[in-house]
Amino acid sequence: MTTAVEMLGIRKVFPGVVANDNVNLSVEEGEIHALIGENGAGKSTLMNVLFGLHHPEAGVIKIRGKEVHIRKNADAIALGIGMVHQKFKLVPSFTVAENITLGSEPRHRGIFLDRKAVHDNVMEISRRFGLQISPDARIQDLPVGVQQRVEILKALYRQADILILDEPTAVLTPKETRDLFGVIRSLVANGKTVIFITHKLREVMEISDRVTAMRDGKVVGVTKTTETNPTQLARMMVGRDVLLRVTKTEAQPKDVVLQIRDLHVFDDRNLKAVQGVSFDVRAGEILGIAGVEGNGQRELVEAIVGLRPAWNGEIQVKAQNLTTLNIRQRREVGVSCVPEDRYVRGVALPASIEDNLIVNNYFKPPIAQGPLLKPDVIARHAQELIETFDVRTPSKDVPAYALSGGNLQKVVLARELSAQPDLFIAAQPTRGLDIGSIEFVHRRIVEARDRGAAVLLVSAELEEIMSLSDRIVVLYEGKIMGAIEGARATEEGLGLWMAGITSEGSPEAAGH
Amino acid sequence: MDFSWILDILQRYVFNIANLQGMLRLATPVVLAGLCALITSRAGILNIAGEGMILFGAWFGVAGSYFFRSAWMGLLAAMLSGLVVGGLFALFSLKFRAHIIIMGIAINIFANSATIFLTREVFGVAGAFSDPNIAGLPPIEIPILKDIPVLGPLLSGYTFIVYLAWILVALTYVFLYRTPWGLHLRAVGENPQAAETLGINVQRVRFGAVMASGVFASLAGVYLSLGHLQMFTEQMAAGRGFIGMAVNTFGGGEPVGVFLSSLLFGIVETIGWRLQGERIMPVYFISMLPYLATLAALTIFTLRKQQAKKAALERAAREA
Repeated sequence: MTTAVEMLGIRKVFPGVVANDNVNLSVEEGEIHALIGENGAGKSTLMNVLFGLHHPEAGVIKIRGKEVHIRKNADAIALGIGMVHQKFKLVPSFTVAENITLGSEPRHRGIFLDRKAVHDNVMEISRRFGLQISPDARIQDLPVGVQQRVEILKALYRQADILILDEPTAVLTPKETRDLFGVIRSLVANGKTVIFITHKLREVMEISDRVTAMRDGKVVGVTKTTETNPTQLARMMVGRDVLLRVTKTEAQPKDVVLQIRDLHVFDDRNLKAVQGVSFDVRAGEILGIAGVEGNGQRELVEAIVGLRPAWNGEIQVKAQNLTTLNIRQRREVGVSCVPEDRYVRGVALPASIEDNLIVNNYFKPPIAQGPLLKPDVIARHAQELIETFDVRTPSKDVPAYALSGGNLQKVVLARELSAQPDLFIAAQPTRGLDIGSIEFVHRRIVEARDRGAAVLLVSAELEEIMSLSDRIVVLYEGKIMGAIEGARATEEGLGLWMAGITSEGSPEAAGH
Repeated sequence: MDFSWILDILQRYVFNIANLQGMLRLATPVVLAGLCALITSRAGILNIAGEGMILFGAWFGVAGSYFFRSAWMGLLAAMLSGLVVGGLFALFSLKFRAHIIIMGIAINIFANSATIFLTREVFGVAGAFSDPNIAGLPPIEIPILKDIPVLGPLLSGYTFIVYLAWILVALTYVFLYRTPWGLHLRAVGENPQAAETLGINVQRVRFGAVMASGVFASLAGVYLSLGHLQMFTEQMAAGRGFIGMAVNTFGGGEPVGVFLSSLLFGIVETIGWRLQGERIMPVYFISMLPYLATLAALTIFTLRKQQAKKAALERAAREA
């Protein structure tokens, strides 16, 4: 077997950070190579170097044994390297075929688009690799899994032999993930080489031949997948033992705190995103809302906290109707929320941590006295929360944007939980966080439950839903597909519900 | 009831050959200003400098025609000015990253003062410059077509730029939807990152779009100064750069849409001229009409969009 990619002694420095420090990576031709590591470990930097988006300070890159100089994106493409980014780079109003051929379109008499050739070329490549698509469909009408297939075809159309997939399963349903794995296997069977970036250890075990683990900009281990296990991989990534499973006691549910009846909510495109949803959350329990993103979760949460009007239906917290209250009034009733987009709604990025920690209570004592803020109380408040929530920051005065994702989320958690909410909503609370921070966030969510809060957990990560929730409901196209006790749920069963399939029975039965 | 008086009024003030001719004439600079806005907006650039570009085009058209005694040289001079002003706009806003709105405002103010200054310095007059030595663009009679009743007078006998504007509408459509570069331009406008990762030079595409917008605008300018009366008047763009932006929005960013909404503008302006002769309304109010029409059109457009949104909401609610 020959070596497809060899990266030797790669060093890449960003202002103040060594993103890649003497990194070596070797990928054999025809293998599926997993590149794992926490956020900020340097995986994406390394791949961006390979794809010509970053320029290393030092190091050598060899492709198929030959030393190469990749100065720009186009050089990498010419060398047969293709990359599917985490955030797709597609033009929504263009057709599948237009997106695939964009930038190297077949022409007709030199100046016109040869639309038939565009269509035919795309059909041909789709048949050759067994990746089914309809060339004339518009991207904006396609589900995420198909869009990803278009991204892969884009790389194949440019004759990529080496495919980099950056966290490809983050946006997929379990079914779509299985399809993707099928595609990856058939690509490898067709002689392609795949580099698979992920931090989901289960997927590493399932799909990869070999694994390279990175931590703090360095490679900390290379191993054959058959010779390792998830616990060992987690230890490599984090540098210490990690609890992959959350420890929690049996829930002690009490009174109903949140009661939702026949709720209908519209999304930004004025389509019905939530369609007649009803459920309860009791004090002292965690209700997990599972589902592939974009099935109404965001709109549901926004309707509860007051960011989006409910079209009709009831939202009650502690028997009080929320729909007529504004956001602050709802918070005063006892609602707290960790929003799914922490950079937009979770914090004010240019404001200091101290200021970010008081935005939910700056208007009332003890933070304020009449119209005036009390700086000494605010400072003490910030200091206390930074300590209790273990926010790693040089000081309480640095702007929020200076913090890492995990520390930023701790700031949000600190603010929202310090309000001692009766209803605590956590939307995608660990998205983009590394294993260490995930563990922390999970512990805090369970603590909030044990203190007696009703917790509504919304997550697209099945593992997270299953390990935290006392009860689980699955949202699919804005409707509840099913509900089940957390302990009885199986991944396969929830996966079916997430894909909108009910006919095969209860998730419990489907799992066996 | 007898509605013939309505028909009578419609025929007298709106649908007669003279008015339709007026509509096509007066729509021409708006069509070109609309294409100026279209080509940049489809590339993802907010270009508000059309007004200034038109003004420069108008001035250089007159200057070129006056000094070379040729309308074609005026046309050429104007187009060159469009390229230069467009190039400067692109250079500052795209390459040196000046704020695009501020840059647009700067160009508009600069064009206004520069043309006033140049008129005084070069021609030694203030306000307006006209001279028998300025050659106008000759009307073009289209053989055969010109002899057909109704269609002949309606479609034949305009100056070159009127026909050029029609051709440019068609060419812009072909460019956008039938050529690779049009595909690139739309991709750059809609998702620049996608275009970039596929090796499309986003900067270059946008540069080209701004230069093209300069040429479109300058043609609108030449039409104003050489199309009918051969003269340059201070501030003669009279808001057409901005109306072009409105027409582009109203026309949904499509070449044909721009053309049709420009006709709407043209007919309103024509009616305005007719009414001035009738002395039934104050002249100042009448000259406001085209702008009021633009405002009204945009308002109706937005309201209808909102209504469609609401209807969709209600439909969805019924289905649920």
